Amino acid sequence: MTTASIPATGGRRRQPTKLRRAVRRNITAYGFLCGALICFAFFSWYPMVREIILSFQKTNFVDPPKWVGLENFRTVINDPAFGPAWVNTALFTLLALLCGYGIPFVTAIVLNELRHARAYLRFVVYLPVMLPPAVSVLLFQWFYNPDYGLFNEILSLFHLPGLQWLNSTSTALISLVIVSTWMNMGSGTLIYLAALQTIPSELYEAAELDGAGLFKRIWHVTIPQTKLILLVMLLLQIVATMQVFIEPYLLTGGGPENATVSVVYLMYQYAFNFGNLNAGNALGLMLMIVLMVFSAIYLRVSRDNTV
Amino acid sequence: MSDITVIPGRSAGTPAAADRRERRGRRPRKAFDTQFRTAVSPHQLNTTRGRIIYWIVLVIVVVSFTAAFVFPLYWMVTGAMKSTEELNSIPPTFLPSHFSLDGYLQAWDLLGLGTLLGNTALYAGGAWLLTLAVDVSAAYALSKLRPVLGKVVLGLMLSTLMIPPMVIMLPAYLTVKDVPFFHWNLLNTPWAIWLPAAANGFNVFLLKRFFDSIPRELLEAAEIDGASPGRILWSVVIPISRPILGVVSILTVVNVWRDFVWPLLVLPDSDKMSVSIGIASLSSQMPQNVLVASLVIASLPTIIVFFLFQRHIMAGLTAGSLKG
Amino acid sequence: MKSHKLSILLVSGLAIAAAAACGTDDSGNGGDKASAGSGSGGPVSISINCEPPKTNKAQRATFEEDLAAFQKLNPDIKITKVTDAFPCYDPRTFEPKLASGDLETVFYVNFPNVGRLIESGQAADISPYVNEIKTFPDYNSSIDLFKKDGKIYGLPTDGYGMGLVYNRALFTKAGLDPNDPPKTWDEVRAAAKKIAALGPGYVGYGEYSGNNVGGWHFTASIYGRGGSVITDDGKKAAFNTPEGKAVLENLHQMRWVDNSMGSQLYIDWPSLMKAMAGGKMGMMLGAPDVLISLRNDFGGKFEDYAITAQPEAKALLNGGAGYMINPKATPEQIRAGIKWIEYEFLTPGKGQLDYVRAKNANLTVGQPYPDLYRPDTPSGQAVNELRKANANIDSSQFAGWVEGSKGIPPKAEPGPYAQEIYKILDTPMSAVLTRKDANIDQLLADAEAKVNSLLASKG
Repeated sequence: MTTASIPATGGRRRQPTKLRRAVRRNITAYGFLCGALICFAFFSWYPMVREIILSFQKTNFVDPPKWVGLENFRTVINDPAFGPAWVNTALFTLLALLCGYGIPFVTAIVLNELRHARAYLRFVVYLPVMLPPAVSVLLFQWFYNPDYGLFNEILSLFHLPGLQWLNSTSTALISLVIVSTWMNMGSGTLIYLAALQTIPSELYEAAELDGAGLFKRIWHVTIPQTKLILLVMLLLQIVATMQVFIEPYLLTGGGPENATVSVVYLMYQYAFNFGNLNAGNALGLMLMIVLMVFSAIYLRVSRDNTV
Repeated sequence: MSDITVIPGRSAGTPAAADRRERRGRRPRKAFDTQFRTAVSPHQLNTTRGRIIYWIVLVIVVVSFTAAFVFPLYWMVTGAMKSTEELNSIPPTFLPSHFSLDGYLQAWDLLGLGTLLGNTALYAGGAWLLTLAVDVSAAYALSKLRPVLGKVVLGLMLSTLMIPPMVIMLPAYLTVKDVPFFHWNLLNTPWAIWLPAAANGFNVFLLKRFFDSIPRELLEAAEIDGASPGRILWSVVIPISRPILGVVSILTVVNVWRDFVWPLLVLPDSDKMSVSIGIASLSSQMPQNVLVASLVIASLPTIIVFFLFQRHIMAGLTAGSLKG
Repeated sequence: MKSHKLSILLVSGLAIAAAAACGTDDSGNGGDKASAGSGSGGPVSISINCEPPKTNKAQRATFEEDLAAFQKLNPDIKITKVTDAFPCYDPRTFEPKLASGDLETVFYVNFPNVGRLIESGQAADISPYVNEIKTFPDYNSSIDLFKKDGKIYGLPTDGYGMGLVYNRALFTKAGLDPNDPPKTWDEVRAAAKKIAALGPGYVGYGEYSGNNVGGWHFTASIYGRGGSVITDDGKKAAFNTPEGKAVLENLHQMRWVDNSMGSQLYIDWPSLMKAMAGGKMGMMLGAPDVLISLRNDFGGKFEDYAITAQPEAKALLNGGAGYMINPKATPEQIRAGIKWIEYEFLTPGKGQLDYVRAKNANLTVGQPYPDLYRPDTPSGQAVNELRKANANIDSSQFAGWVEGSKGIPPKAEPGPYAQEIYKILDTPMSAVLTRKDANIDQLLADAEAKVNSLLASKG
C-alpha cells in the first residue's frame, strides 16, 4: 500500500498489475479451494455450528427447539460419572502416551536398524490398523479372559498369578491401553520410521567420530532430528486419544464400577441411550474446547523448541 | 529441508534396491551396506560380535512381531473353522478339530458379502478419487497460491479434528438429507459417503506440509514457461508428490472401509449397505464362527490394498513429508 | 515454524464458530416439514420399518406376503416404504431420522425405550383410534407401558416375562435333575456350584454387569424378590431395601464364596448369549426368547436348553417390544398405521400369529410368546389353541416357565429414565462381581443417592 506514493510513471503502471496479479492469484486459489470449502462447509463446519447451537437448546425434533441456556451443561456436570469420565480420559491419555507414544518410537528405531525382513515387519506392524475394531475386540476378549484367556495362560507358564484384566477396577484401564496401543501403533511406527530415514548419515558419523556411544547417538542425533515430527505426533495423538470411545464401549461397557467411562463414552450414553442428544452435544462441546485450548497452549509452548 | 526433492527419489528407490542386492547375496561377507547409515555404526555391525547381536535382535523382533501381530490373524482365520463349542473350549485349540470352510461359505451366503463388498469398494474407490481431487487442490492452493485468509481456512479445517465425529453426526445427516441451496437428497447414494470423506482436515494438513517442502524454484521455472496453476499442479506437483498421495489414499480407503456409524445412517437400504454395517448390524445374531469368518473376509480387501500400495506408502512416509 | 500462527488460528476458528453460532437462527429444523402423506381423500401412504433382515429368509418371505395381502385388503392404504435395518430400533439413527422426517410412519421400539419416547413427545397419541382394534380389550397389562396420563402412545406386539434359562445337558452332567430345575435362590446357588465344579471354564450362573444391561438384570432380579427400583410416583429410588441387598448378596456369595460364576464379566447381550451357547454355562436370567435366539442366532444346541420360572418370583420384569406412530403423522396415517399393526401382529391366525403358515415355513412354533392377551379372553384362547395345534418344537422346554410363571404379575421398566438408572445400577452389579471386599450397603446407598439426584433433576 505504501508504494502508492512512488511518483514514477512506471511505478504507477506496475501498481495495478501487481494488484491484478494478486487478485487473479486469489481467484485461482479459491477456485482450487472451492471443492474443499464446499465439502467442509456442508459436512464439517455447518454441522459444528449446529452442534454448538444444539448444546444450548432442548429439542425432541418434533416441536420447535427451546433455548435453555446452560441447562445441558449443568445436566452433564451433575452426572456422577462426569468427574470419573474426565479423570479416566486423562489417565487413559497419559498411559496411552507412555505406551502408544514410546513403543512405536522405539519400535521404529529398532526396525530402522534391521537390514532384513523390512517389508514383512512393516506390513505386520500395520496389520492391526487395518482390521475392523470388532476383530481386535473379539481377540482381546479371549486373551483377557481371566479363566482361560491366553494372557493368564502365559502368566501361569511363568508361575505368576493370573490377573483379572478387564474385570477389575485396578487393571481395566491399563488393559484398554494395551488394546489401544496394539490397535494403533502401526501408523505411529510407520510415520516415525519415515522420519528416521530422513536423518542425514553424516550426523551419525560425526557423532561417532566424537566418540558418542549408541545410546548417546540416539539421544543427541536421533531424537533432536525427529523432534518436529515427534512434537506434531504428540499433539495429534493426544487429540485422538482424548476421544477414546471404541475400546471402553466394546470391551468393558464403562465398567467395572465406572472405571473405564470416558468422556466420549459418556457422551454416547447421553446422546443415544439416554435420549438426551442436547446434553451429549454439550459434553462434546466441552471436550472440543478443552482440546482446542490445549492445542493452542501446546503449539505456543512447543514453538520455542521447534524453530 | 531444502533437499527434499532428493529424498523421495532416494527413499523410494534405495531400500528396495538394497533388498534386491541382498537377496542375490552377491557378496555374503559384506551384507550390510553402509550407504544407509543409522544410529548403529556399520563398522560395529560388521564385526563378528556385531553380527551375532544383530542376528539375535533380528530373530527376536521377527518372532515377537509375528506372535503379536500375525498370530491374532491366524487365530481369526482358524477360529472361523471352529464350532461355537470349540471356540469356547479350554484350553483353546490351536488347530481346528477339522478343516472346513463352512463358516466362510455360510458368512458369504448369509450376509450376501458379495454385494456388501462390491458396495464398499464403490464407496471406498469414489471416496478415494474425490478425496484426492478435493484435498490435493485445496492443499495446493493453501501451500503454493497462499490466498488471503488461507491460514484461517487451514485453521478451520484443522479444528474439525478436535470434535468427536459422533457429535456432529446428526446435523451432518440433516445436510445429507437436504443439501442447503441445492436441495438434493443424498441418502442412499454414494455421494453421502464420498462428500463427507473429502472433508478431511488431516489429509489437507498432510498434503499441505508436503507441498510446503517442494522448492519454490521448481514451480517458478514452470511458471516462467507460461504454465497455468492447474498445469503446474498436474505436471509438476503431483508427480513429485506420488508418495504422499499413497499415504492419503490408504488412510482414506481404510477409513471408509472401517467406518460404520455414518454409513449406518446414510445408507439405510440393505442393498446399499457397506460391509461394516452389514456385519455390525447382524453381529448380535449369528454364531461366533460365522461372525469371525465374515470379519476375516471383510478385512481381506484392505489388507490386500495395503499390500499392493505398500511401496508407495512406505516411500511416502519416508519422503520426509512429515519432517517439517 | 508457523506453529504459533496455527495456535492463533485454532483459537480464532473457535471464535468464528462461536460467533456464527450466536448469529445463526436455527430455522432449518426438520420439524416444520410434515411427513409425506395426503390428507384429503385418496389413498393414504405410510411407511413401516422392521422388516426381517435378509439373513432371516423365512420370516422375510412371510412378512412380504403379509404386506401384499394387507394392501389388497385395504386398497386405500399404500405402504410406500419398508425398511429392514437391523436392529429395528437403533438409538443412533432414531433421532436423526425423526429430525429429518425420514422416520417411518410406523416404527418399532423395545420396552426399555417406550417410556422415554412418550416422555419426550416423540410418539403420536393414538388413543382416539385404538377402539377400532378388535382385540384391543383383550390386551394384558403390557399395554400399560404405552399409557401416560390416560393416553395411549403405542401397541405392544411382543411380550414375555423373565425366567431362568438353564442348560439341561450340563445339569445331567453335574448330577442334577434337568427336570427339576431350581425353584429357590438357594437351589440356584447349589446347582451353580455343582456345575462350576465340572472343571475349568464351567460357569454355574452367568450375569451381566455393564453397558446398562447390568442394571437391567438387577431390576429383573429385585422385581422377582418383590422389590422395586423407583417409587410408584417415580420421584425416588426404592432399591436400597432388603430385596436389593439380597440380589447383590446372592451374586457376591456365588462369585466369591462358591466361585461358581467364573471371573469373566459379561457386558452385553451377545457376550452372555455366546457364553450360554458355548455349552459351559449352567444358568442365566432370561426370557423365553433367549431359547429361540440361542437356537437361531448363536448356534446353540436347542434341545439342551430349557427355561423355568424365575426363582421365588413375586413379580416379573416385562420384556418385549411394540410399535409406535411417527409424531408427525396425519390422523389418516395414524389410522392406517394402526390397521397394519393390527393385521400383522395382533390378529390371531394372521401375520405373526399365523401359526399354520409359520409351521409350514419351518419357523419355530410352540414358544410361549408373544404374550399379549389375557389367557381368559377370546384372543388369548385363540392364540393359545393355534399355538398348541401347530407346535413344531418341544414345548416341554418352556413348560416349567409357563407353569411356574402363572399368576405372577408383570412389572414394567422403571419409568422414562430407565436407561440412566440402569447405567447407575451397573456399578453395584460390577462391584460385587469384581471385588471380594465390595461393601453392599455402601454400594446401594451410593446408587440410591445418584438415582435420587437424577430423578430430582428431571423434576
